[in-house]
Amino acid sequence: MDRPDWAPEDIDMERPSAARMYDYYLGGSHNFAADRAAAQQVQAVIPDVSVSAQANRTFLRRAVRFLVDSGVRQFLDIGSGIPTLGNVHEIAQQADPASRVVYVDIDPVAVAHSRRILAGNDHATAIRADGRQPDTILGHPEVRALLDFEQPVAIMMVAMLHFVSDDDDPAGMVRALHGAVPSGSYLALSHGTDDARPGDGAIGMAIYRNTANPITLRTRAQVTALFDGFELVPPGVVWVPQWHPDSPDEVGENPERTGVLGGVGRKE
Amino acid sequence: MTGGAPGSPGPGVTTFARAWAKAVTGTSYVPLALAEVETYLGGLAGRLATALTAEPFSPRAGYDIGAELVAADFAAAETLGRTIEVTQLRLLHDLDLATPDAADRLGRLLGALATGFTRAVRDRTLDEQETIRQAALVARVQAEQALRASEARFRHQATHDPLTGLPNRALFGHRLAEALGQNGEGRVGVCFIDLDGFKVINDSLGHGIGDRLLVAIAARLGQHVATHRQLVARMGGDEFVVLVVDPADTDELIAVAEEVLAAVAVPVHIDGHELAVTASIGIAESPAAGTDPTGLMRAADITLQWAKSAGKGRWALFDPARDDLEIARYALSAQMPAALERGEFVVEYQPMVSLFETTLVGVEALVRWRHPRLGRLSPSEFIPLAEETGLILRLGYTVLEEACGQAAHWWPEAKPEGFISVNLAVRQVHDPGLVDKVLGILGRTGLDPARLQLEITESSVMGPDTEPIAALRDLAARGIRIAIDDFGTGYSNLAYLRRLPVRELKIAGEFVTGLRSADATGNPTDERILATLVSLAHTLGLTVTAEGVETTAQADRLRAIGCDAAQGWLYGRPGPADTIGGLVEAGSGLA
Repeated sequence: MDRPDWAPEDIDMERPSAARMYDYYLGGSHNFAADRAAAQQVQAVIPDVSVSAQANRTFLRRAVRFLVDSGVRQFLDIGSGIPTLGNVHEIAQQADPASRVVYVDIDPVAVAHSRRILAGNDHATAIRADGRQPDTILGHPEVRALLDFEQPVAIMMVAMLHFVSDDDDPAGMVRALHGAVPSGSYLALSHGTDDARPGDGAIGMAIYRNTANPITLRTRAQVTALFDGFELVPPGVVWVPQWHPDSPDEVGENPERTGVLGGVGRKE
Repeated sequence: MTGGAPGSPGPGVTTFARAWAKAVTGTSYVPLALAEVETYLGGLAGRLATALTAEPFSPRAGYDIGAELVAADFAAAETLGRTIEVTQLRLLHDLDLATPDAADRLGRLLGALATGFTRAVRDRTLDEQETIRQAALVARVQAEQALRASEARFRHQATHDPLTGLPNRALFGHRLAEALGQNGEGRVGVCFIDLDGFKVINDSLGHGIGDRLLVAIAARLGQHVATHRQLVARMGGDEFVVLVVDPADTDELIAVAEEVLAAVAVPVHIDGHELAVTASIGIAESPAAGTDPTGLMRAADITLQWAKSAGKGRWALFDPARDDLEIARYALSAQMPAALERGEFVVEYQPMVSLFETTLVGVEALVRWRHPRLGRLSPSEFIPLAEETGLILRLGYTVLEEACGQAAHWWPEAKPEGFISVNLAVRQVHDPGLVDKVLGILGRTGLDPARLQLEITESSVMGPDTEPIAALRDLAARGIRIAIDDFGTGYSNLAYLRRLPVRELKIAGEFVTGLRSADATGNPTDERILATLVSLAHTLGLTVTAEGVETTAQADRLRAIGCDAAQGWLYGRPGPADTIGGLVEAGSGLA
């Protein structure tokens, strides 16, 4: 099933995409003029956004390593974006080549790029789906083919749920995914917040409103609540640099400057 | 990530690498922990140190290191700036290097490093731009393909039956119109198929089984019948159709129909049920040019009904003559109610005469339709239609009332003898309101019941229904005469004669025809039958009237046999009341 299910009009290079803006923050060039213009607007308001993106990316790397060390070999990465360096499959398959990874993103360009990178990798694929429709993801033939839902699965929603508005019920999404995986599975989640610097977020949100992916920032309590049904791994929901740093030096003096909270929970 | 040279770096290199790592931390995203970064940069620092003292000197190492930094994702502008800064400020010091040309060499190495770095960044940027544009292009192409595929899927759904997967009515209609639209001498044939007994299976075993049966039959039709010139479609329900473009001849269509019958005949096994159905098929064909698809389909549909009424499990071939006849019949029956309102049905009268006294015994009332376009129609042309539509009741009672009124006018007194004989249709005999209506008519017209004879056919009193018999007995008890019309042409079951208060038998004209001449050229069998009937009737105390008497010779033979009365052209054709009014008044005096 090589056929995507997006419409030609979904591929609009004139419209900023969160996935490509994120790539720009990370220093990549997998982006178009419209993405860069929007990203620069955000940077003007939140100069640390590149730092946040890097910190978030670093959190992803450490979370995957933690999950691999915990014995997880299956990853469902929802909102995977443009697969630049340090992807889940690179990290996981480095640890165990049999690790299986499915990337899910709503951005057709990101998915097309991911599929190109993953060509020839039998244990990893990318599908285009709306993260707000977990049942579509869980029922997707490629997901069913690659992942064994009798075995633990790590659900990755890294810097993803802040693209889901309250109306679209992010807790319900997590609940549906929770219901589909066996005990011993994990949820790794990071989420933008303006807890540390109220105000910045509002402007950032306003800018994202004009993109294909509007943003909803949430408080630490709200982010923690999203782990409902999962047992939080210590230290719980923290600023992403604080989550299992490789060394104390890496945390830095102002981890809250990232504006991103993260955590990992286990389904008992 | 194997940029660093192996071997054990000196303590100066390690110190520098730590400072370098610290300087670039956070400038670029690299998927490495800080310790891993220090190790990696330590390798590069070792190579810089080597280059600073190598003979002959080459700045090439600087260029390579710059490019390798980018390859290892240390690609941000800040990374380059801080690298140059920390190297310029610390490297010679940390290495404790004080050779005379060390500063020169360092400058040239850093220059090369910046060149290698920026060139690699530029290549990488262009590559990534290329990649993302490709991805967008691929995504768009795939999306367009997907759109076309879904359009194709949609088209398929719009033109195919979801249950059986066969082409549907819409596609069939399209193909038929296409086939009929071609010019030239081609022909188009259609086999309209309907499964016999499908409803029973559906009703008794459920729709699930019914649907599976349809799927199985459809698969066979699709497999055995569909070819490049033949389209099999499901029209809905248990109706299928085969379109044959350019059949060689009618035999080819018949062969297709035979194939369909054979394919359907093999029992289908579903859930332990052995389901046997047959099919009825209507075959119609026409020249492609100038044929209207609706007309062709109508012909096939009508022909299908012929196949059904001929006993099912067979094909029938369209016959335009039969169709014309049926259309005419249909048109005629549709016109009848209005014709009745307009008074187009008229009553004519024909005398019945005693064969022995040549006196008038009675008058038969006969209905005619004066059709404005078709002229005078005889009862055989419209009574069966009126029986079918049920209009016969109104028509029959209208005729009865008019005839009774006329009879009351003719016979206001007790004398002379005579009665009016009126035909009762089968539906009238079975009409629960028969007795009331007859009595009502007698009351309104003032006709003596004894002057009314009702003619019924044998078949109208056959069957298990006893009510008609009771009604006729009731009427007979009131003095009304009951006659059996066309006796001898039906079953001639004599049993009912015991239960019915019959007064007279009327012998059909066809027996009389055999008496055309008194000599040997006549049909002796007819005469014997007639003689036996008359004898039988007399034994039962019934009188006999022969119909269709045309010659005096026939009259003589009938008289010889003992027949009581006769009716026919010899004595007068049916005509308006005034043409025989004289006879009635005379009461006798016939030739």
